[in-house]
Amino acid sequence: MTATRLGHPRPEPSFTIMVNGRPVEAWPGESIAAVLLAAGRRVFRQTAGHAPRGFFCGMGICFDCLITLNGVPNVRSCVTPAAPDCVVEAPE
Amino acid sequence: MTEIIVIGAGPAGVAAAVTAAEAGARVTLIDENSLPGGQYFKQAALPAPASLPPTLAENFRQGQALLAGLSHKNITFRGNTLVWNVTPDRTVSLYGPAGPETLAAAQLIIAAGAYERVMPFPGWTLPGVMTVGGAQLLLKGQRLLAGQRILLAGTGPLLQVAGVQLLEAGAEIVAIAELQPLGSIIARSPRFLGHRDKVKLALNNARRLKRAGVPVKFGYAIVRATGENEVSGAVIARVDAAGHPRPGPESALAVDTVCLNFGFAPDTRLTQLAGCKHHFAERFGGWAAITDDNMETSQPGIFAVGEVRGIGGVEAALPEGRLAGQVAARKSGYRTDESAGPTRRAARRARALVGQLNTVFAVKPGLMTLAQDDTLICRCEEISAGQLRAAIREGITTLNNLKPWTRAGMGRCQGRICGPILAHLLAAETGLEAQSAGQFTVRPPVKPVPLSTLLPQNNNDEVAHDK
Ligand SMILES: Cc1cc2nc3c(=O)[nH]c(=O)nc-3n(C[C@H](O)[C@H](O)[C@H](O)COP(=O)(O)OP(=O)(O)OC[C@H]3O[C@@H](n4cnc5c(N)ncnc54)[C@H](O)[C@@H]3O)c2cc1C
Ligand code: FES
Repeated sequence: MTATRLGHPRPEPSFTIMVNGRPVEAWPGESIAAVLLAAGRRVFRQTAGHAPRGFFCGMGICFDCLITLNGVPNVRSCVTPAAPDCVVEAPE
Repeated sequence: MTEIIVIGAGPAGVAAAVTAAEAGARVTLIDENSLPGGQYFKQAALPAPASLPPTLAENFRQGQALLAGLSHKNITFRGNTLVWNVTPDRTVSLYGPAGPETLAAAQLIIAAGAYERVMPFPGWTLPGVMTVGGAQLLLKGQRLLAGQRILLAGTGPLLQVAGVQLLEAGAEIVAIAELQPLGSIIARSPRFLGHRDKVKLALNNARRLKRAGVPVKFGYAIVRATGENEVSGAVIARVDAAGHPRPGPESALAVDTVCLNFGFAPDTRLTQLAGCKHHFAERFGGWAAITDDNMETSQPGIFAVGEVRGIGGVEAALPEGRLAGQVAARKSGYRTDESAGPTRRAARRARALVGQLNTVFAVKPGLMTLAQDDTLICRCEEISAGQLRAAIREGITTLNNLKPWTRAGMGRCQGRICGPILAHLLAAETGLEAQSAGQFTVRPPVKPVPLSTLLPQNNNDEVAHDK
């Protein structure tokens, strides 16, 4: 499922972040979770029990949306803004 | 020493900060988010598109009007800053962009808000199953529509409010599954006499959903979500008065998104750390901080406003924030001209309505039977209902005992998601009241912070407390 950006195309210039080595388009002000969801990616991580998890509470309390960002594990993607230098690891 | 510190820049905290600043006090307003606004007035870091869906546009306009007050020269807003500890002597420990820091406040106002309640069922951990608030925050804060074919399930007027917002944004609402039967809502509707404006709003939402052909199913619950790596289907079924699914036909729906809300629970972590007294009631949405008429807690100089006092919604949060701002400014030696009477009455009126809603749209014990023994209850530590039921059969009756025994509530969310569910599970298994399960004891930090914040000589490993 791909999430839809409202009022698209957004007027300001986009940039790219790297997700598992591939460029993904992002707009200034978007969270990493929003960028992943808008790119059609709903699985953000696998649990220790090998279950897929993604966006859940959207307000930084559930810790389900964790990703690895620039080598740092367990970053909450829903409260972390996307920036041009972001390198995200999430399972395929 | 800071004159007044306000924790939380939602409607309650912003109203408190602006009122105190206008009286002449110097205020530091702190929020973990980069932007003020809280949950209801969630702001986007993106520029507003030329045309927003109408209800979002109205929310945005109201939020902007409130937040304009923050430009007062007496207010310092510190965003991206987590308050990870508060002590009874009003020492506030922060972790922000510049690292850890400690501030002392002469007056401290806690406006930390609430979080959503959800109930577990098979498939509720699948990606694409999210909270209603999460989908709303994507709309408001990210201008993003989470899905195309959406089921809203749970209980309370928020389901229909969000249904209209998602519809306006372009989604198809496949169904709304409201736990309460229509008959029981109507039977209890006299409780809403005197709140004609709100009843009108609710009926208006219902009409808009009807016109769009959205089936609103009263007395229904989601019993299952299905899908491989993300949700692709959901099953809803009729439930009886106690919330048990009734034998009989189920409806399987093809959906790409499921949004859940079973009400809200006050976030009392900071007031607990500050040593404030709390009480429990269904009309508060669970445990809530006790205050006097001036919003002051059992700890002198510490105020609690908005959802922390019990779920009361935005219209209680605003006047309560103003009251606390006035009183805190007065205690700091400033004069305020505003008379407290009308503000207090506005807060009481809003709370009276939402308090009734919280009892009419309460979670029902029978819902716990939806969780099969292999359904996870603690999402962080992946503890199943079966493991927890076995522990409860060993004689455990409180949250604090369940935690070390099973690890439920020990993960990163620190029981924010599973805590209210565990209280229901304990009640369902033991026959005791939900309140006898107690609250999890809170220890700092309230959210993970770099270990170096707690132990200066150590490295940067993250620590979730209580492991
Ligand atoms: C996801 C969500 C969606 C909602 N949608 C609606 C809706 O559509 N309609 C409606 O009427 N009500 C809604 N509500 C209810 C909402 O709680 C109230 O309407 C209103 O926002 C309450 O205001 P408040 O100021 O008490 O709390 P909030 O608006 O929740 O503000 C609390 C603030 O405190 C901050 N905070 C908390 N703890 C800390 C800490 N330790 N350190 C730093 N900052 C902290 C939070 O980041 C937040 O910004 C929603 C609630 C949630 C959680
Ligand atoms: S979605 Fe819950 S913490 Fe990000």
